[in-house]
This record gives sequence, C-alpha cells and structure tokens, in this order.
Amino acid sequence: MTRHVMIVGCGRLGATAANALLDRGDRVTILDTDAENFRRLRPRTRLSMYVGDGTSHEVLRRTGIESVGAFIAATGRDTTNALAAQSARTTFGIQHVVCRINDPIRSEMYEQLGLTTLNPNQFLVTLVLQAMEE
Amino acid sequence: MYVIVVGAGKIGFYLTRELLSASHEVALIERDALVSAVAAEEFGSIVITSDGTEPTVLGEAGAERCDILISTSGQDATNLTACQVAKYSFKVPKTMAVVTDPDHVPLFRALGVDVTISTTELILSHVEEELTGGPFVHVLPLRGATSGIVSMRVPSGSPVVGQPVSRIRLPQGTLLTAVIHKNGELKPAVNDPELAADDAIVAITPPEKEDELWHALTGEARR
Repeated sequence: MTRHVMIVGCGRLGATAANALLDRGDRVTILDTDAENFRRLRPRTRLSMYVGDGTSHEVLRRTGIESVGAFIAATGRDTTNALAAQSARTTFGIQHVVCRINDPIRSEMYEQLGLTTLNPNQFLVTLVLQAMEE
Repeated sequence: MYVIVVGAGKIGFYLTRELLSASHEVALIERDALVSAVAAEEFGSIVITSDGTEPTVLGEAGAERCDILISTSGQDATNLTACQVAKYSFKVPKTMAVVTDPDHVPLFRALGVDVTISTTELILSHVEEELTGGPFVHVLPLRGATSGIVSMRVPSGSPVVGQPVSRIRLPQGTLLTAVIHKNGELKPAVNDPELAADDAIVAITPPEKEDELWHALTGEARR
C-alpha cells in the first residue's frame, strides 16, 4: 500500500527516513529551511522537496499536508519538532505523527500528551548497552 | 507572586522590570549569553543563562512553586515548549506565550497555553477599529470573572443613534458603563446620555453575549 508521508527536516534522520520510505514505494514530501540539505537525497519521481518552515501552517498547507497520511518531525531541534508535530496532529488532524525529541524528560512528557516520540540518543544508549552485554 | 519569564529580549526585559517594581518575585531565563549579561547587569542574580525549554532548567528555577510562566522569545516553538513543560511537568497554574504567527494562536490554546499574546492580532484589532469603527476592541479580561471589558463604536446608521442609553435592549449579563463622545467627553451611563453616531461605548460583557450586544448597537448581525 503506497502511503504519502510528509517529513519536516532533511538532516541525516529526515533524509535517511525519506530514502527508506521511497525505497518501499511510498510518496514523500520533505521540507527544510536550508536547500543545501536536500543534497542528501537522490532525485526520485515520488519525492517532492520544498524550502520552507515546517512549523508554519501556511507552508504546511501549501505543500499539501492535508493530503498526507503520516507526518515525521525530524529536525535537530526539539522545540521545532514539537510545534510541527502538534500542528500536524491537532490543527490538521493527521493520525500518524512521529516526533523526534532528544531530551528524555520532554519526550516522556510528550508521550503522556499522546505524541509518538522518537529519541535517537535513548535508542543509541540501548544499543550500546546491548553491545556491552554481548 | 512568583513569575518565571523566559526570554530576555525587549518584551522579557521590560516585563521583568515592571514585575519587579510591582514587588513580584521573578526569575528571568535567557539562553543567549550576551543578551543575558545585559539583563544581569540590570536585574542581578535573578537572571539565569540557560535554555528555558529544558525541564531541568525550569526545575532549578523553582517551576514547582511558580504561579505564572510567561514565555516571550521571538520563536513560537520555544514559547510553546516552555509553556507545555511548565504546565505538564511542573503543574504551573498559568502559562502565557507570545505568539508571532497568528495561525498558531488556536493551536496554542488547544494545547493548553492559558493566555496567548499575538502582537499581530493586537495591532490588527486597533487597525480594524480605526478603519471601520468596526468590531469590538477587547480592552481587558476581568480577573476572576468570565466577562471582559469591551469597547466599540456606534455606526452612523445604527437604530440606537438618538436614543438614550436606557432604551438599548442589552443582552442579559451585559453592563453598559460609559459612553465616550467622539470629542473625547466621557459620559457615565448612569446619567442616561443620548447616543450619537461615532460615540464609543464601554461595556462589561460575557464573551458569548458579544454577538447580541453587537446586534443591539448596530441593528445588524455580527459578521
């Protein structure tokens, strides 16, 4: 089943997620405030790239948020991600929203508020601990 | 009261000064070292150089016993996060955020920010008043009550022009307190002055009665 996913932030996480989704056959719309970051992506037919602020409702609307099925907030800033993700969920009613939050205490709070958060640091720590066990 | 102010830019700086002179206890949190140094020169040890959206920072600033957190940075994302952390991690009773993008106002309210201060909307409400004699200007929300003080101008075609104040059919729960003539003369409503076109009225009304009040003063439905 082809999905249309919007990603805010084309850093390593956003770009890697975009490439993986495209490889699976999904459609991806990706936003970043810096066009330079799009160099991480190969041009693909089902990929749309826009330079713009993913926390602006105007920008989100113009780049087609109303037709996406999932949303990933993947910039390096927790505050930006939290605003973008909560806009997607509350203002635009997107069901599947994933939000990168680096701060463990804040990610716990957002989980309690019903956001699906992703904490790369926590994830790495778990992997490191596992590797040390082996 | 104990107030935490996040952001020591123009708004945060002058707000802190006013709060201190009104004898409130204030902590001012600013991430930028240069900006915070300027604030510290003026306010001393109440200035904390750190990120006011971090739970650990707010915890150290005493967010648990804080009555109000006001986030005044120029970044909406920062202000939303500071307010949400204050409200949900520290149970701060009242949170206020400066909002730069007016589109964010309804979202912030839906996400639990108690008061949003949108400079665009503030300016717009005054511009609208100047241009159209139009909608209400919300002068002040009243403490401990659901009603607020509003002001509006009586348009020239209104059926109440030429009528005394006592003849206006005000909605229930609405109190018309004064009439301000366009030359600036203040006429208390108790003296039952006659209304002229372009007079401004000052009233205390619950928000849900505003449409009725509008109708009473213009003879038209509110757009």
